[in-house]
Amino acid sequence: MSDYFEYVEKLFKNGEKRDPPLRGIKVLEMTHYIYGPTVGMVLARLGAEVVKVEPIGEGDRFRVGALWMRMFKKANLHYLVLNANKYSITLDARNAKAREILFKLASKVDVFVENLRAGLLDALGLGYAHLSKVNPRIIYVSCSGYGQYGPLSRAPSFDVSAQGIIGLAMKTGWPDVDEFYKLPDYFGDYFPAMVATAAVLAALYYRERTGKGQYIDATQAESLFRFFYDVTYLSLTGEEIGKTGNVDPLAIASGIFTTSDGRFVAIAIMDEEQLSALSKAMNVDLLGSYKGKLRTKECVSELNGLISKWASTKTLEEIMSCAKAYGFPAAPVLTDLDVYKDPWRWERGSTIEFEDRMYGKVHIPNLPIHLSATPPKVKWLGRPVGYHNRLVLKRWLGYTDEEIKKLEEEGVIGYWDQAPGMCPPDAWDIDNDPVFKGERDECE
Amino acid sequence: MSASKRDELFAKLFSPEGKPSALEGIKVVELSTSNLVGSMVGGLLRELGADVIRVEPPEGDPLHDVSPYGAKLKGLGIPYLIENAGKKVVRLDLEREEDRGELRKLLTSCDVVIDALKPGLLDSMNLGYRSISNENPKVIYVAISPYGHFSKKAEEMSNVPDSDLTAQAYNGYPSLIGNPSIRPIPLRAGIWAAWAMAAICAVTGVLVALYERSKSGKGQFVDIATHEALAAIHIYPIIAGFLFGRPRPQYGFLDYLLYPFGVYKTKDGYITIATPFDTDFRALLKLIKRWDLEPDWKYSIDRVTDDVNRIVELDREIRRELMKYSSEDLIKKSLSRGLMPEALRRLVGRPVIVKSYTLKEALGEKHWYVRRSILRVRVDDKEVLVPNSPFRMSETPGRMPVEKMFTQEVLTKEVLVAMTSTRSEERISDS
Repeated sequence: MSDYFEYVEKLFKNGEKRDPPLRGIKVLEMTHYIYGPTVGMVLARLGAEVVKVEPIGEGDRFRVGALWMRMFKKANLHYLVLNANKYSITLDARNAKAREILFKLASKVDVFVENLRAGLLDALGLGYAHLSKVNPRIIYVSCSGYGQYGPLSRAPSFDVSAQGIIGLAMKTGWPDVDEFYKLPDYFGDYFPAMVATAAVLAALYYRERTGKGQYIDATQAESLFRFFYDVTYLSLTGEEIGKTGNVDPLAIASGIFTTSDGRFVAIAIMDEEQLSALSKAMNVDLLGSYKGKLRTKECVSELNGLISKWASTKTLEEIMSCAKAYGFPAAPVLTDLDVYKDPWRWERGSTIEFEDRMYGKVHIPNLPIHLSATPPKVKWLGRPVGYHNRLVLKRWLGYTDEEIKKLEEEGVIGYWDQAPGMCPPDAWDIDNDPVFKGERDECE
Repeated sequence: MSASKRDELFAKLFSPEGKPSALEGIKVVELSTSNLVGSMVGGLLRELGADVIRVEPPEGDPLHDVSPYGAKLKGLGIPYLIENAGKKVVRLDLEREEDRGELRKLLTSCDVVIDALKPGLLDSMNLGYRSISNENPKVIYVAISPYGHFSKKAEEMSNVPDSDLTAQAYNGYPSLIGNPSIRPIPLRAGIWAAWAMAAICAVTGVLVALYERSKSGKGQFVDIATHEALAAIHIYPIIAGFLFGRPRPQYGFLDYLLYPFGVYKTKDGYITIATPFDTDFRALLKLIKRWDLEPDWKYSIDRVTDDVNRIVELDREIRRELMKYSSEDLIKKSLSRGLMPEALRRLVGRPVIVKSYTLKEALGEKHWYVRRSILRVRVDDKEVLVPNSPFRMSETPGRMPVEKMFTQEVLTKEVLVAMTSTRSEERISDS
């Protein structure tokens, strides 16, 4: 036991390493904002070769969506992370020649990811029906708010809209305050994106065994419904739980409490063993006094009152020592800055310093999915609009320099607008950049 | 193609009738006594067709009782029923030598182990990865715990059990939610956001490891920390720290990137509004007849700033104005703009406005029943609603086995012996 953590650490740091798990898998994505791009991001971190298609000029509109509109070396760092390890190309889908190229690319890939309006790619001849005909092994994933069919399928969706339509946006807040808060940081995009990614991986595994591809209809709404236990509770009791502030209705007792040193601590008691552990720490027999009444609303609120009083007499450190000694769930409430600085994340490699060829040193998150033999890797950050046009056309489709030049002249492909979020950093010597010229790959 | 024709075609394409599952033949052993996040991982793998065996203590799992305000269906809590329907159960007392032997046989003959117990506990019984992988090198061992199975902190905190609320807290989530001018304390997200994210990360890890195993023939260790996953997937907390060197303020009624982007009150209910672009915001101003606000708030850079007080000024105006309209009225007006050709709509803009439903209203939408997003289950004289699997796949649809919700199969010793006598490579050939 004593050396267990050391053993696991060694396994992760120095154990056997194998080829990236998705080496050889080719992915084409026509995506924007967060939902679709996250799917490609995860696959790319795991070794897939991902080509992202954007409109000429402005590209993915999320390129300008920087936090507080602050750019980093003329780029949106959030975009750069979401589109790390991807090849950025442009094709104007309104142009017939561009669609032809798209079709050629799509018929070569293993996975196709899109999160455009439901039905749009069908209309352009790039739907599942079209692509699976020439490429029956293709795994095609459409990401949308409410799905590719059904009465709501044409309704527009963003993270917050999906949260609203399934009743989730009314779940967060104080019961006595007439305000509702969405789940922040685009949980309504990121969580569904991870569900879509899992579906793609399951489909890849299935294809490996049977040779068959398939279509995946990924939705924000159905992903967000999955762990929304209120649905069943409402149908069972006729009662809507609604907002409960800091109380988790699934816990015996829970809350975010203020400590004697003015810090915030979260405590959640999920079972009786944990309640008796907390009893020892508080030196009162909570389990004995409330046995038989546990989990009723009255009991939850009385217990929370007692915990709140106790927590206000202890420092955060004292409470955490109790949690460790007796064994009940407790954690400090961190801020962004605490999360960023936390040495634990750096030690585990989920926060990393990365030196990019174009953007220099940045601190970014790696995937929090630690795989001992095939760890996810960041190889390069997002790139300016159309940056990999030449590289991809040459290497994937065998175009010559002359043919590419012609496509540029005809406006079939194109590059960035001279605007933040789309263009290279000011100091970047683009004319002498061999990757941009298609002469060598990012990591050659 | 007409919309109804398209609907018909897709409904047929995605019909689950008579189709196989992606993970057929994959055997999973789940150890998650009194830790629901482990059951969530096993639950998602089960939807993909894996055969999941759940190890429970003989006296029953405390998870039976976990439910919103203790609500039960036939003696079991809601999450337990949803996450564990269709799993097989084996009752083992890990204090007993003999039962540990049974568990060893299970672990050395399965494809995936879910370890949601106290980190190091299985290893101390010689049933951890280091022992199991020796005998079963193809095993994929996924551990899910608050701080993981490696790092100094993981060891130091190994005695602290897991919960969604503490995981939210350590991911910094509650520090963003709420309105400090009303109540300046952190606020919890109203669903199990941190656990849900960690669970889907674990499932993703297992699936990629299974795929990789079909090439290399070898398994590996997948380590998921619930107190780590959410913030890393959300990206923001890390890059905000790096870019600004200070925490983002609590901002729950607004958004850090867009304005407006959130829940708003109308004359007769609530709506959500998203205006991703300047043109969309300006369209909103036209829609509520407040064009006078346009000059001052024209650009995103005017409306999104770290100076909260400044935006609050605009927010107050917008909220007051929206109260003059009914939700239906605003939605209709925004939708009429959606009828324009895409290129034109981009120029004139459109705020995306939809109803912010209460759950009761949400569940009244026909859409969920057409798509079977929500399943109706008869329990005695009641009809209970259960969310379906989110894995909508045309060839290998995910399935929520509601028909098995109340008929848990408990494996006897004899069945167990028969099961563990075949190794994974004999059951499936995946290379």
